[in-house]
Amino acid sequence: MNHKTTPLPVILLLCSLNVLLGQQVTISGTVNDDSNGETLIGATILETTSGNGTSTNEYGFYSLALPLGNDTLTVEYSYVGFQTRRLRILPNKDRKVNVKLGTGIELQEVVVKANSYQEQIRSTEMSVEEITTREVKVIPALLGETDILKTIQLKPGIPSGSEGTTGLYVRGGGGDQNLIVLDEAVVYNANHLFGFFSTFNTDAIKDLKLYKGGFPAQYGGRLSSVIDVRMKEGNNQRFAGTGGIGLITSRLTLEGPIQKDKSSFIVSGRRTYADLITRQINKANEDKEDYTPIPDYYFYDLNTKVNFTLGEKDHLYLSGYFGRDVFNFNSDFFDFNFYWGNVTGTARWNHVFSPKLFANTTYTYSKYNYNIETKVTGFSFKIGSDVQDNNLKTDFYYALNNRHTLRFGVNTTHHQFGVGRLKAGSDDGEISFSGGNDYTGASFGAYLADEAAFGVHWKVNYGLRLSGFTNDNKFYAGVEPRLATVYNVNPDLSFKASYARMYQYLHLVTTSGIALPTDVWYPSTSKIRPQYSDQIAIGVEKVLGGKYLITNEYYVKWLNNQVDFVDGARLFANNDLESEFAIGRGYGYGLELSIEKQEGKLKGWIGYTLALVKRGKFEPLDASRNFSDAGNYFFPRYDRRHDVSVVAMYDLSKRITLSATVVYGSGDRTWMPVGRFTFQEVYGGDPQEFVPVFGERNAIRLPYFFRSDAAIVYRFFPKWGESDLTFSVFNLTNRRNAFFLYIEPQYENKDEPLENPIAIPTGLKLKQVSLFPIIGSITFNFKF
Amino acid sequence: MKQFIFVSAAILLTLLMACGNLEKEINLDLPAYDGQYVVECYLEPGQPFSLLLTRSFAYFDPFPTDLQQFVENLLVDSAAVTITHNGVAYELPNQIYPNLATGKIYNYYNPALVPQDYDSDFSLKITTPDGRTITATTRLLPVVPIDSVVVQFDEKRDTLARVLTYLTDDTSTEDYYRRMYHLNSLDSIPRQDFTTFDDFVDNGRIVFGTPFDFKEGDTIYNTIFHIDRAYFDFWESVINAVNANGNPFSQPTAILSNVKGDANAIGIFTGLSYDRDTTIIAK
Repeated sequence: MNHKTTPLPVILLLCSLNVLLGQQVTISGTVNDDSNGETLIGATILETTSGNGTSTNEYGFYSLALPLGNDTLTVEYSYVGFQTRRLRILPNKDRKVNVKLGTGIELQEVVVKANSYQEQIRSTEMSVEEITTREVKVIPALLGETDILKTIQLKPGIPSGSEGTTGLYVRGGGGDQNLIVLDEAVVYNANHLFGFFSTFNTDAIKDLKLYKGGFPAQYGGRLSSVIDVRMKEGNNQRFAGTGGIGLITSRLTLEGPIQKDKSSFIVSGRRTYADLITRQINKANEDKEDYTPIPDYYFYDLNTKVNFTLGEKDHLYLSGYFGRDVFNFNSDFFDFNFYWGNVTGTARWNHVFSPKLFANTTYTYSKYNYNIETKVTGFSFKIGSDVQDNNLKTDFYYALNNRHTLRFGVNTTHHQFGVGRLKAGSDDGEISFSGGNDYTGASFGAYLADEAAFGVHWKVNYGLRLSGFTNDNKFYAGVEPRLATVYNVNPDLSFKASYARMYQYLHLVTTSGIALPTDVWYPSTSKIRPQYSDQIAIGVEKVLGGKYLITNEYYVKWLNNQVDFVDGARLFANNDLESEFAIGRGYGYGLELSIEKQEGKLKGWIGYTLALVKRGKFEPLDASRNFSDAGNYFFPRYDRRHDVSVVAMYDLSKRITLSATVVYGSGDRTWMPVGRFTFQEVYGGDPQEFVPVFGERNAIRLPYFFRSDAAIVYRFFPKWGESDLTFSVFNLTNRRNAFFLYIEPQYENKDEPLENPIAIPTGLKLKQVSLFPIIGSITFNFKF
Repeated sequence: MKQFIFVSAAILLTLLMACGNLEKEINLDLPAYDGQYVVECYLEPGQPFSLLLTRSFAYFDPFPTDLQQFVENLLVDSAAVTITHNGVAYELPNQIYPNLATGKIYNYYNPALVPQDYDSDFSLKITTPDGRTITATTRLLPVVPIDSVVVQFDEKRDTLARVLTYLTDDTSTEDYYRRMYHLNSLDSIPRQDFTTFDDFVDNGRIVFGTPFDFKEGDTIYNTIFHIDRAYFDFWESVINAVNANGNPFSQPTAILSNVKGDANAIGIFTGLSYDRDTTIIAK
């Protein structure tokens, strides 16, 4: 142990625990991908005689206690998709063992291990879904744009919002209750183009882990999920590149060693290019007097990362993300410029104090903002909002022995919010409008968790997180107990249970089911109390024949201080936004069942979710405002009773991989009118023949959802590397899934309403609008 | 912003719909709905008391085939309607009052003129044919006059002009406005029609503009209504409810009425104060 740098109280605590727990040695180190040096997160390390094991943490570090002795022990290192390595280790002293795993000659030739799910069965972790970019890249995608957030929706318990979007409604939680972090920095609006694409460029991402429940104590801040996205570190073995050309975007990633085995970099960019075409069309038509130019729209992402090994015990990672959506419409008389996006920055310092004690200290910066600037002759209008975080945290991982692993840490975040900053007026200053509010806040967290093993069958991870938030001269504190336990009946069967309380101090201001760039985050204030939730989950995990993992979980969840908005809420440009809030509660329960196969030529999963969610007891903060169905419980739009997804990936040969997905779900709910009245209006106004009278909130369920997609990846192996053509077909059966409904009046003569302002319709028809028919796409990908 | 969303959604939907017919008719059973009474009553100083009492229908109820039947079906007869002001009760008998100047029809009418009194309440009481009650209270607001109307021709295309309408807001009070303008006829559908309030006004000066759309000789009717919060909420909720049909981005809303009582009615009882300017486009 490094006594020069470890805090004294920590040393005393840890030493006394060591004495109590007997004579052991520790092997520790990192597990990396042999081909590029990338750390492997969640790799399994198992001492084969006793069955004691552990897994690598988020930084690829592991620490395994072994009984002191002179008999050589076999330790097995494994990771899905990689060849297992067995090392013989003499446990007579602490040892540092860094291990590299290889994929073998080709992926499909990897020998399937007897039980590749061993660590998962043993772990107290439950309600967790993981996905790697390797899977994402072969699963069919809309317009060929692979997207890790959309792929994770295929897992049980994570219904999407609207079709084709990245919205996540985890176990009945709202779309604003997901903590999305990229290299530990919060991404406040992980969407491009109304959520049809996420901000995560698959080429730059290593993997994604989503917690639906059983939240570890190190996480806090949102009620319903934690989505931990990790960027690649960059190849520290050789210079390499990947890229692709698709219908929507092109991508290029370059990575390589700065100093082989010790440091590397990665730079990855992605950009849409429809604007390059529309600009040419506009240019060709610029002389035509009646021509209205096509607006410019594009988005781009830039991910960068460098990492340095600073000696035996220290590692430094610096990463950044910068993404923007840009929408411009410029003419001689009118300029409209709208841009929005995220910036994140992360600096992480890993330090190994001892074979047992690992620490990570992180500074992150996050910013999301949007700006709208409009100019017409003599006048201008600007409005924008932003949220900005500076976060500092430190996390310790202490593998005390093979019975106790401790995690503890603290964090603090300074938040800045600019909400609806507006400046408008005439160029001569005669007319002037302004508005908006600025807020600052700070959040705090401290946690301690112990994963304790009681014998060989039973493990408990118990912990406590203390959180706090201050703003508006008001301080809120949250006590968040966390508990997760596993009982291993045998290496193929375990029962699990968990409980977690979560607090959420920031609230998203939105009423739309679709991610809008103008959705802003708003802090808890003296009137708006923090949201909090309690979730209990129980489950069973069973490995069948060493190949199939069956997971069955049941959960119940209570949501408090839920945020919604009053009828006719004015959320855009409002100096008194709080008067638009309504506060209520909610609950949800359900079961999730999945069977998955992670290795072999055929891989994939089948998932089923049965769920119910309700929200209610909403009361407006401003008593003069109205909230429909106040006091009653109602179904939210995303209440999806049944949800089935089937994902299959098949390596037909070295060159060809086939994949298919099938998704079935109960239709989303919608809020429909039940009545209508005729509104005569004042003189000059536009009379309305039928004004809808909306009934109970979301009482109508849309027709069921069904979609099947398929893709073929055909690989080439030129001398310079590897490339592939990916053909994908989205919505193979060309089913028309409901995006929204509307009611259309019918007239004997369809031009009648134009000719006669009080034309009487012969009837009304209910129409369903779908977004996506069958869509084929082709993408060219390469790597060298 | 709404315009941006609508435009973007329209572009997106148009592009996607170009891929195939993405609309189809479906059938859904809507929950049962009991009709409600609907009140529209605008008190305009110097004009007779008039009120429209109609009924609402289940959304998919059939429509009558001709206009007369449509109107008869709509109107609620045999209610007792009284408006009280400063102790004077104005009874509005059930009588069709077609306002020939505006083309509007009312079914409860009293020829007495609405007094121009901004300091005391007007109260409405309706006893419906089935014995239930509708009540409401309002107060007239003074007119906020249009200060000036400026016609500006575009420098590049000097055949097209815009119209800027200026007014002065009282920054010491919370004021709500409805702005509309018509091209060439007040009987046409307004080119602009929206409500707003003075939350962001810095120095009391407000301007409403138009695009560079008008030629010499065009007539522009500018109307600025000074409205109360109840009318602002009601009108916004009506427009939001109408717009919620067919717009996946918008949130449905209840109709925010200022009529109360056990009849569970929908409607608005408000004063009507406006200034209207007529400008003929000329260089």
